[in-house]
Amino acid sequence: MSLRVLVVEDDREIRSLMQSSLAVEGFEVQTAVSVSEAKALLQHLTPDVLLLDLGLPDGDGIDLVREVRKRHTLPILVVSARHQEAQKIALLDAGADDYLTKPFSVAELLARIRVALRHRGTALAPASTVHDVGDLRVDLNLRLVQVQGTRVHLTPTEYKLLARLVRSAGRVVTHRQLLTDVWGPDFNAHTHYLRLYMGQLRAKIEADPAEPRHLLTEAGVGYRLAAD
Amino acid sequence: MSADAGTGRAPPGNRDWLLALALLAAASVAGFVLDPYVSLTSQAMLYVLAVVIASYRLPRVLSIGSAFAAVIAFNFFFVPPRWTFEVASREHLLTLGTMLVVAVVINHLAASLRRETATARLNERRAHHLQQLASHLAAATAPAAILVGAQQALDAAFPGPCVVAVLDERGELVLDDAASALRDGMLCCMREAAVLGPGTGRWPGLAAWYLPLGEKGAINGVACIQNVMAADNGGREHAQALCTATAQALLRLKLTGAMQSAREEAQRQHLQSTFLAAISHDLRTPLAAIVGAASALQTQRDKLGVAQQERLLASIASEANYLSTLTENTLQLVRLGSSGELQRDWESIEEVVGAVLGRVRRRDPARRIRSSVPAGLPLIRADPVLLAQLLENLLDNALKYSDQAIDLAVALAGGELRVCVKDRGPGIPEAQQQEIFEPYRRNDRSGQRGAGLGLALCKAIAIAHGGALTLRRRDAGGSSFRLALPVDPQQPARGPQ
Repeated sequence: MSLRVLVVEDDREIRSLMQSSLAVEGFEVQTAVSVSEAKALLQHLTPDVLLLDLGLPDGDGIDLVREVRKRHTLPILVVSARHQEAQKIALLDAGADDYLTKPFSVAELLARIRVALRHRGTALAPASTVHDVGDLRVDLNLRLVQVQGTRVHLTPTEYKLLARLVRSAGRVVTHRQLLTDVWGPDFNAHTHYLRLYMGQLRAKIEADPAEPRHLLTEAGVGYRLAAD
Repeated sequence: MSADAGTGRAPPGNRDWLLALALLAAASVAGFVLDPYVSLTSQAMLYVLAVVIASYRLPRVLSIGSAFAAVIAFNFFFVPPRWTFEVASREHLLTLGTMLVVAVVINHLAASLRRETATARLNERRAHHLQQLASHLAAATAPAAILVGAQQALDAAFPGPCVVAVLDERGELVLDDAASALRDGMLCCMREAAVLGPGTGRWPGLAAWYLPLGEKGAINGVACIQNVMAADNGGREHAQALCTATAQALLRLKLTGAMQSAREEAQRQHLQSTFLAAISHDLRTPLAAIVGAASALQTQRDKLGVAQQERLLASIASEANYLSTLTENTLQLVRLGSSGELQRDWESIEEVVGAVLGRVRRRDPARRIRSSVPAGLPLIRADPVLLAQLLENLLDNALKYSDQAIDLAVALAGGELRVCVKDRGPGIPEAQQQEIFEPYRRNDRSGQRGAGLGLALCKAIAIAHGGALTLRRRDAGGSSFRLALPVDPQQPARGPQ
């Protein structure tokens, strides 16, 4: 059975481009041109992935994300222009899984969908607790962090931070989500904690902290642990 | 009454009485001392002298009193029969009468002289105030400064209290609560565009003068001087002169402001149209390439070899990417120009550099960019998206204009964070080093197309962060761009380990 993708996009050209390039990859593609049409469609079908464009004519989609999250765990990818940071972050915090910045290549789109699906696929099975990419290996069961086979010692906060990123490997985690999960909800505006601890973490994990391979920065949005 | 008006009519004080007594005593003592040597006429002259001095120095009542006292003393001490108040001859009666007339005449002359002197002094002081106000107003560049100057001038000239109020941009009178009781009078004064209050014939029942700052139709404020007298015409004229000077200064400021904003508007429109022309020019070239390549693929696909098709597709993709960068730069530049607001947060320059390198490396397969970021740099308050775009533009430029190694170096020096991007390209001639930061200029160095707005945006971003972006020609060839960002000495606290 092929996977179903719902594309919510008001621009005809981009909609048809996404439709054809996803169809070629074997997805069954459904489209909606507005938030309300998407809501109507979601009454009857449950797609495997939702691609949601920012700046739809009838709303920014945040209530759509909230509504979907009440009933489904399907991955939601937000498609935005670069200057729409604030809305993008709001959607991510509301439960969207990741985002794509326009203009994007088809390869990028497919890669993001793959990452999102991989997570959902394993979400049903016991949660993945081992992250093994390149020279970095993190085993959450054993509380083990290794770089090039050598064990690395992390402070409790550094470890919590890394573990949170491992659980969402490949996907962006917003500043607010990280701060809330690692330091607690009272600290969700203390982005400077993140700067300092991510710096420490990079110094321990990255070969060149100024050009990280694992702990990637999404400027103004959050962080992403590279998944491949 | 004016604070600095003359005091000629004041009632005599203790000192005046003492002076009168002292003068008479002195004349009497001198008369006795000279008694063996001089005649009665000379002794009379001594008393005349005392009366003259008293008339000149003392108020009228006291000077006439002194004259009488002098006559009585002269009569008592010196006119035979001595030590009595009897007058022996008519001659002495005449002496007495003369002395009285002399006293009154001299007193009158002295009093009017004093009055004139006082008036002259007052006028001189007022001229000085006016001149001081004029020089203060000439230097004033804001309504607040004019207000301060006018207030000082009025306070110096009148016992007051004096209140000066000007209209704000919305045409409302700016008045603090303490003076709000005067508001009605001020509004009425502005409506009538005339001086109100005692002696003006308008609202004489008021306890204060209300003076408009400006002519009818161009009134920019009001002054109110409390505790004034209807008869003080000179004071009122002076107040009017001060207010006229203030009104002229306010008007001048207003006109200058209007002229300035008209000039700025014209400049902005000129800039905008040049900007639009430059943008559309920059957009046209890549668009032509895309349309050309796409239409070739559409109509001639069968005749084109696979390699040619690939080349056309690659050209479409790269031109479209260029368009995307240009659009992004334009958008950010416009946003920076219109709002100037940054989404600032504590940021790590290491992270920003890392994010930028992650993106730029796709265009740098040979890894020509060499980065050096020391550990332990302080955090900065910055908009990470804009800062990343600045660095990306600089690196893209360097990649485009040189084919050798490019250095990206971050350093902390002199309380600021310095990010240098150095290339070994052809460099930019001294004469064009300012120009390349203009929004619609481009240095057509190697026939390549640069991101036309890239450097203008970079500069705008640097300035919006309170920093600077400078360009230096390197000694051995190439360019060095240096971004300097201020570092807040108050770094945020660390959380728990």
